[in-house]
Amino acid sequence: MDILIAENLSKTYTMGEVQVHALVNASFSVKQGEFVVILGPSGSGKSTLLNIIGGMDRPSSGKVTVNQREITDYDEKQLTAYRRNEVGFVFQFYNIMPNLTAEENVELATEISKNPLNIGEIMEAVGLADRKDHFPSQMSGGEQQRVAIARAVAKNPNILLCDEPTGALDYDTGISILALLKKVNEDLGKTVIIITHNSDISHMADRVIKMRSGQVIENYINEKPMAVEDIKW
Amino acid sequence: MVRLSNIDKMLIRMIKYSKGQFAAILVIIIVGISVFTSLNMTAVNMQHTVDTYYLENHFADLFIQTAPIPGQAVEKVSAMEGVRRAEGRISIDVRMVTSDLNERVNMRIITSKGTFDELNACTLLEGNYISNAGREAMIIEQFATARNIKPGDTIKVQRGGVQYSLEISGIVDNPEYIYLMENEQSLLPDEKAFGVCYVSETFGRQLANLPGSYNEILVAYNDEAEEDVLIDNIENKLSLYGVKSTVERENQLSNVVISEELKNLSVMANSIPVLFLVVAGLILIMMLGRMVKKDKIKIGILKALGYSNFNVLLHYVKYALSAGILGGFVGSVLGMALAGAMTKMYLEFFNIPLLRINFYVSYVVLAILLSSGICGLSGVVGARGVMKIDPADAMRPDSPKMGKRIFIQSIPVLWKNLSFSNKMVAKNIFRNRKRSIFILTGVSLTLGMMLFTTSMSSVMDQIMIKHFTEFQKMDYNISFQTPVSENVVNDFSGIIDISYIEGRIEYPFEVSRGNKKETVNIIGLQRNTEFYSFKDEKGNNVDVPAKGILLSENLAKILDVKIGENVEIKSFMPGRDIVPVTVRGIIKQALGINAYMDIDYMGGLLLEKNMITGVYLDTQDKLINEKLLYASNVSSIMSGEDSRAVYEEYMNMMFLSIGFMVIFSGILGFCIVYNATIVNLGARELEFSSLRVLGFTNKEIFLMIFKENNIIMILGILLGIPVGKLFTLYSQQAFSNNMYTLDMSPTPGAILQASLYTILFIFIAQLATYRKIKELDFLQALKVREN
Repeated sequence: MDILIAENLSKTYTMGEVQVHALVNASFSVKQGEFVVILGPSGSGKSTLLNIIGGMDRPSSGKVTVNQREITDYDEKQLTAYRRNEVGFVFQFYNIMPNLTAEENVELATEISKNPLNIGEIMEAVGLADRKDHFPSQMSGGEQQRVAIARAVAKNPNILLCDEPTGALDYDTGISILALLKKVNEDLGKTVIIITHNSDISHMADRVIKMRSGQVIENYINEKPMAVEDIKW
Repeated sequence: MVRLSNIDKMLIRMIKYSKGQFAAILVIIIVGISVFTSLNMTAVNMQHTVDTYYLENHFADLFIQTAPIPGQAVEKVSAMEGVRRAEGRISIDVRMVTSDLNERVNMRIITSKGTFDELNACTLLEGNYISNAGREAMIIEQFATARNIKPGDTIKVQRGGVQYSLEISGIVDNPEYIYLMENEQSLLPDEKAFGVCYVSETFGRQLANLPGSYNEILVAYNDEAEEDVLIDNIENKLSLYGVKSTVERENQLSNVVISEELKNLSVMANSIPVLFLVVAGLILIMMLGRMVKKDKIKIGILKALGYSNFNVLLHYVKYALSAGILGGFVGSVLGMALAGAMTKMYLEFFNIPLLRINFYVSYVVLAILLSSGICGLSGVVGARGVMKIDPADAMRPDSPKMGKRIFIQSIPVLWKNLSFSNKMVAKNIFRNRKRSIFILTGVSLTLGMMLFTTSMSSVMDQIMIKHFTEFQKMDYNISFQTPVSENVVNDFSGIIDISYIEGRIEYPFEVSRGNKKETVNIIGLQRNTEFYSFKDEKGNNVDVPAKGILLSENLAKILDVKIGENVEIKSFMPGRDIVPVTVRGIIKQALGINAYMDIDYMGGLLLEKNMITGVYLDTQDKLINEKLLYASNVSSIMSGEDSRAVYEEYMNMMFLSIGFMVIFSGILGFCIVYNATIVNLGARELEFSSLRVLGFTNKEIFLMIFKENNIIMILGILLGIPVGKLFTLYSQQAFSNNMYTLDMSPTPGAILQASLYTILFIFIAQLATYRKIKELDFLQALKVREN
């Protein structure tokens, strides 16, 4: 069953005096429980695409349907509720609150969601049970990204959207984060969508969507996804 | 236990992180709110105490001075419709004889029935009430304290060349003399030189030589009485005997002073706090505006997590509300504590027996509502940018702002000659215009308040110096008990070594125009008088006209009359017609409310020709009081020197409150500049970090901000001068009354003083920011993406 359908998405925005065509007629669909990698170089429109799917931005034209509901029709209030309950975000620069501890950062998300997961279990799952009272400034980049993942997962969303989750991390830490995301995908059954410019990551995906200049140039099923620990870059 | 949500934990940590700025805002709110609660509660407590005191001691509604009048006349007034009670009494001014014969001490002797007074009853503080006969006297507390007079002591007074001994039976307070002043020309009480004694009717009549008569009537109205109508009726009823003046309670000297003081207290209670809260609000708007910009990513994440616009806005509004609620609470608690002390101080100053000091919870609630209301609103305005932040945009770096040339760049001669660091200073001032305007406004407000404060001190100087050395220049002002022939002037030369002397007439009249009227003393002067120098509004000299009348500015305002128009003058003496007189000039007069006429014209028109009621004189003779001790018709001798001496004493008291005002204004300036500079630092963290990496020292960076602030400060001081003038103009209108007219144009000295204080406080604020620059972790700042 398709959990996400994007149809003819276009997005044009103005930056200073320049018109940027970030997305041009992008279409694809994602099935429930898939591990998807959206691959593309810098400026290919993948972050814009993620923002639209995540209900943080609106397309100039086209539509997005999530769980058979067209979110591009939503008003601001509905979009807020969508972000609150349906999707979870993981960013490249972690973007966790510097003045909250690891656990409090996760709670920040759970206390407003309808059906959150157990925080203790999530902290355990991301391997931060003994670091839960630490502030971000006391943690490494990998640990901070784990907090970000825990925060996204703990809301119990259907889809996890990850924007270059390993972009700011070294290889080993990056691999451990990818393993964690795979675990979330397999153990909790969440649909995980990763956007990255790192083509090596696409080897672990169930589906790969390649983008260039705002367009989807390729969309295929990876018949034999590679184990995370075998990925090298 | 209430469990804090995580967004609230973030709030608490946000407050902790910005504790210096938060504290600066809190201080402003606390000062504003404590002034609000303390002054309002003091005003309410004082009003309540005065009202109760008036009620319990049956303070009269009307004071009538008459020619000698029989007891039956008083009974007639008492029986009139609208009159609850009327009482006759004798009131005369005598000299008190002290061991220093040249010391001038005036004593007002008033008859009393001791415990049986139905109106203006005394409150006995020590000793006993007087008995109905004998030479016992109750003496007013302020005078007794100033001269160390105790029950059982004997004092001597002199009237008509005869000395009388009075045995002091008790020390009393009286509602008529809460503020002990001899007359409206005194302005300040001189408790050593003027006292009031209450004696039996029998003795009073003997002293005043008024057998079977009174010269004053006190009246209390019924609830339904219409004052104006009643006064007209009473004046008509008494016209047969001669009414010298009627003074309503609202114009009674002591009551005027205390009412004015309470009015001023209310004006201050409601204007100073508004100013402080508005400043706190503006700082919050600026701070939160910057915070929202800085927290763009954080806001984006919160929204991405599903927090609504309202939730996120509320998060920042709560920051402002916390300052409002906490400041409101601490301020009102502090205000309550101050209110108790202030009320006690006032009551002591005004000599009113202390009632209970009430603390009004309503003011605390109002104070908290006021501060949280203003702060909450400022929070919404300051953080409104939250609504505009789009979660997707928040994750993207801002596109660089469009660079603009500043206007100095269009003056190549100026621009080329500026050093690089000065060019940066100039660009930075114009880069964030809102912030620069905020500092500019803050500095001008601070200077404005400082200027108001420093002007206040020079204003009292001006009143005294202008009034006693420029407006009226006589060494002595001598009044007679009864009008005498003008030839008496010559008699003085035989007693005192006189340099110059002029006779005068001074008598109360009702001056009216249409339905507006005022009872004032009209003074008849020689046309070529050397003792007065009248000036009009523009500062031009005005001569005493041969015919017509000069009005003091405040009188002309009350009567709404212009030069060339007529006023009507009604005499209180029996059988006199109402006379129209043309206004020939309107003159500035700092103290009192009067009208002036040529002495011959006035005598012929309103009294009798060639009669005078007193003299003005210049003399080097220091023994004037002693020499005139036995002059039987002299009722009072006043000297300009005495008035100035009293003023000096009063000024010392004023310094304390001026000091407080300077500190208040300084706190305001400090907080504005400190907060604005910290916000500035935060906004330019990356820029300063880059400069540090380039090799700039902390000191060089500080000097750069210091220069920026100083340029704005200089502009602020220049702008603050008109702001201060506006404040003083407002105060001039708010605080002027019939007794004195404030002319508060700030002097260059006051401006200089205010500027120096402003510079001092702002300099301290800037030093406080130096610490922040030192703490700047420039490597960390460079690691973080620019927000």
